[in-house]
Amino acid sequence: MTIFGDSFRYLFFFGLLSLQFCCSSLVYADTVRIGVLSHRGDQATLRMWGPTAEYLSASIPLHDFIIRPLKFDEVNPVVAAGEVDFVLVNPGIYVNLEVKYRVSRIATLYNRRNDVPYKIFGGVIFTRHDHSEINTLDDIRGHTMMAVYTTSLGGFQMAMREMVEHDIDPYSDLKELRFGGIHDRVVMSVLNGEVDIGTVRTDILERMASAGTIDLKDFRIINPQKVSEFPFALSTRLYPEWPFSKVAHTADNLAQQVAVALLNMPHDHHAALAGAYAGWTIPLDYQPVHDLFMSLKLPPYQYLGKFTLVDAISRYRYWLMGGLLMLLFMVVMTLWVMRLNNELQKAKDRLELQHELILDSVADGIYGVDMNGRSTFFNKAAERITGWGADDVIGQNQHEILHHSHKDGSPHRATDCPVYQTFRDNEARYISDDVFWRKDSTSFPVEYSSTPIRDEGGKTVGSVVVFRDITRRKNAEEKAQKHQIELARAGRLSTLGEMASGIAHELNQPLTAISTNAQASMRILESDRTNINVCVDVMEKIAAQADRAGEIIRQLRRLVRKEPLENAEVDVNDLVNAVAVLIRPDINRAEVRLELDMQKPLPKVLAQPIQIEQVILNLARNAIEALAEVSERERILHIVTREDSKESIRLWVRDNGPGIKAELESTLFDPFVTSKSDGMGLGLSISYGIIEAHGGKLSINPDYRTGAEFSFNLPVGEAG
Amino acid sequence: MDQSIPTVFVVDDDEEVRSALKLLFESVGLPVICFASALEYLDRFDGALPGCLVVDIRMPGMSGLDMQEKLNEYPIFPPVIIITGHGDVPMAVRAVQAGAVDFIEKPFRDQILLDSVHRAIEMDAKMRGEASRLSEIREHLDQLTPREREVLDLVISGMRNKNISEQLGITLSTVEAHRSRVMEKMQADSLSHLMRMMLTLEQE
Repeated sequence: MTIFGDSFRYLFFFGLLSLQFCCSSLVYADTVRIGVLSHRGDQATLRMWGPTAEYLSASIPLHDFIIRPLKFDEVNPVVAAGEVDFVLVNPGIYVNLEVKYRVSRIATLYNRRNDVPYKIFGGVIFTRHDHSEINTLDDIRGHTMMAVYTTSLGGFQMAMREMVEHDIDPYSDLKELRFGGIHDRVVMSVLNGEVDIGTVRTDILERMASAGTIDLKDFRIINPQKVSEFPFALSTRLYPEWPFSKVAHTADNLAQQVAVALLNMPHDHHAALAGAYAGWTIPLDYQPVHDLFMSLKLPPYQYLGKFTLVDAISRYRYWLMGGLLMLLFMVVMTLWVMRLNNELQKAKDRLELQHELILDSVADGIYGVDMNGRSTFFNKAAERITGWGADDVIGQNQHEILHHSHKDGSPHRATDCPVYQTFRDNEARYISDDVFWRKDSTSFPVEYSSTPIRDEGGKTVGSVVVFRDITRRKNAEEKAQKHQIELARAGRLSTLGEMASGIAHELNQPLTAISTNAQASMRILESDRTNINVCVDVMEKIAAQADRAGEIIRQLRRLVRKEPLENAEVDVNDLVNAVAVLIRPDINRAEVRLELDMQKPLPKVLAQPIQIEQVILNLARNAIEALAEVSERERILHIVTREDSKESIRLWVRDNGPGIKAELESTLFDPFVTSKSDGMGLGLSISYGIIEAHGGKLSINPDYRTGAEFSFNLPVGEAG
Repeated sequence: MDQSIPTVFVVDDDEEVRSALKLLFESVGLPVICFASALEYLDRFDGALPGCLVVDIRMPGMSGLDMQEKLNEYPIFPPVIIITGHGDVPMAVRAVQAGAVDFIEKPFRDQILLDSVHRAIEMDAKMRGEASRLSEIREHLDQLTPREREVLDLVISGMRNKNISEQLGITLSTVEAHRSRVMEKMQADSLSHLMRMMLTLEQE
């Protein structure tokens, strides 16, 4: 072999020399490291496998193969770090490396047993022959057992697979499980009686027996298996022998060369003899090993396994700590969120309570209406005012309950209901005078507003109605109105008193004409009965004068009588004409020219005609009195009516008198303010009140400088 | 217009009242002239026309009372009857003080007004008659020479002719001649007639 190796070496050098010409950089051969599982110590490993490395170095030019012995716990880190190019490990470790580091087998070892090559092996479970109570796998429960070590494939795991498949958990079902570290010790311990049962890989017993260390008769094989052409005692399935594998980074062509070299190794090559093997064969299928690991739920299939808590903690302690921290964080967060939620809930409850308290403590009735017209809430005041309970109303049609009829009992159609109109046009509305119906079927006057409720998107989702019982207000209003009327009447009577002499004169004129004409007619007829034609003319005059007197009386009676409360449709021009009749004596006496400028036709107003007439009369008489002070120019009283806007008409009373003193203007409409010696000063105050009660405003034009100008407006209206 | 026939002048701003009064006065045969205002009457005033005034006290422009005061500036004017629709005592007193002959409240019985009007016209006529006699006496007086006037004054004072001749230093026959011409010029029937005439003048 040495010669052979030397010749290779020469060849190698020759090759090197020849390569030097091609590639001057390749002066030294590459070192190829073969990691070998060192289960019997590094020295033994180097002794066994060094020759194989030399064989490979000799077989493959430019590569120098060396053995790197690896202890069990070195295998993974060394392979992971790429410190070896090939590995030779037992099938169990190989399967793990295959999964973890993508190593791939390139050849499977022929093991040499009794000079016969075997590429498969198994495990054997045995006891000392005198343990008669242990015959089958099931019998091993409760006994002591020794295996080689936990990761020993033939020396523990194969046996364990068989036990597990018989529902025996070696860690809990045995009295004791111990690991001897090496096969020989396991055998010896069983023989010595240290333990009841042992397990080692196949052929160990036969080898020790042939070496004379033991006698096979002293042992009994448990769960013996018979496989043709496999001569060793066997208790388990068979598995492929050790594979020779390349690691991930190793070049494929090198791996190929190595594989070829290994396959070409003669079974009696001195390297094979040194390694106690019989050469190499093509890589076998390692699926049975995978199955074994899967079955035992061992790495790389550990996730399938049942982990003890300690296993899990040690294996995943960082994850676990991270997880625990995360969990802690989440617990803290959850607590915080819960607390926050709790506070929010409390705040919400408080708000709702406050909301309810506010709703319930306001004096006005408040209720909500959804888009279907049904009530959504109904506050305490609403209950108190209407007599309806919230339970009667909520969810029911509010219109049918509260608003079904008008004051006179005629039905109020839902389509006219302002609450529903609010939905249609999204406009808030205020109704100043309407009626609601109580639970006891009585009605009461209300003012109310209906305001649309909008959601966050601005879409109308209902409306809220706020209402108030205005019975007292209405009563007060009626009382005030009556008082106003009494005051106005008192004002008129006072005015009439002032006007009495003028009116008497005005009345006496037609009466004088009548009586004089009548008496003259009598004389004419007495003296000459043929003068009938003359007398007929006179009679006509008499009738006309009687009418004239009657008209004055009528105007007087209008002013004196108590007017009804109801408003009427009035043409203000008619009132101006009536006033013109009454002020004629004053106008004549004061030598005032009355100019009437009236728009015809003038829109009608809804008013109490006598009161408006009184206002015009007051303004006209004030003007006439003011004009009495004028001597140097013609005295003119101007009364104008016009349509002010679509909604109102306006009446002006102007005179070209001395005007209103500026200091009086601000207090002009206060009662008892007068510039006259013989007046009560109530006229303008009453007039102001009358116009205000009619929805208009009486005012003085402060910019009118050629006399005084008063005006008032009245809203145009039709009798309802 | 016949200046000798008394006329009723009606001043009233009310046309209907005017026409009614006109009809009434005409029905008893009195001529009537109507005026719508005091100023209109004053514009057309003619003192020579006899008759009476019927005036409304309350009229635009000038009132009946003011018109009455204006008329007082004239030597002669018809008597004034005030008619009023609202007679009160102070106003009536004022009217009468200003010379109104009557104060009648409207409306009135026709007879009352007519009686008043007739009385006023009589009063006017009488006033107008006295006035014409006085002017006649003055006319006669104006025809006397100064010496004749001296003789008249002395005769009126009651002196005898002898005393007059001594006082004037003229002969008795001259005094008698003057006296007879005075009686003639004065158209006096007797001494007492002459005395009444001169007394009437003195009373004016």
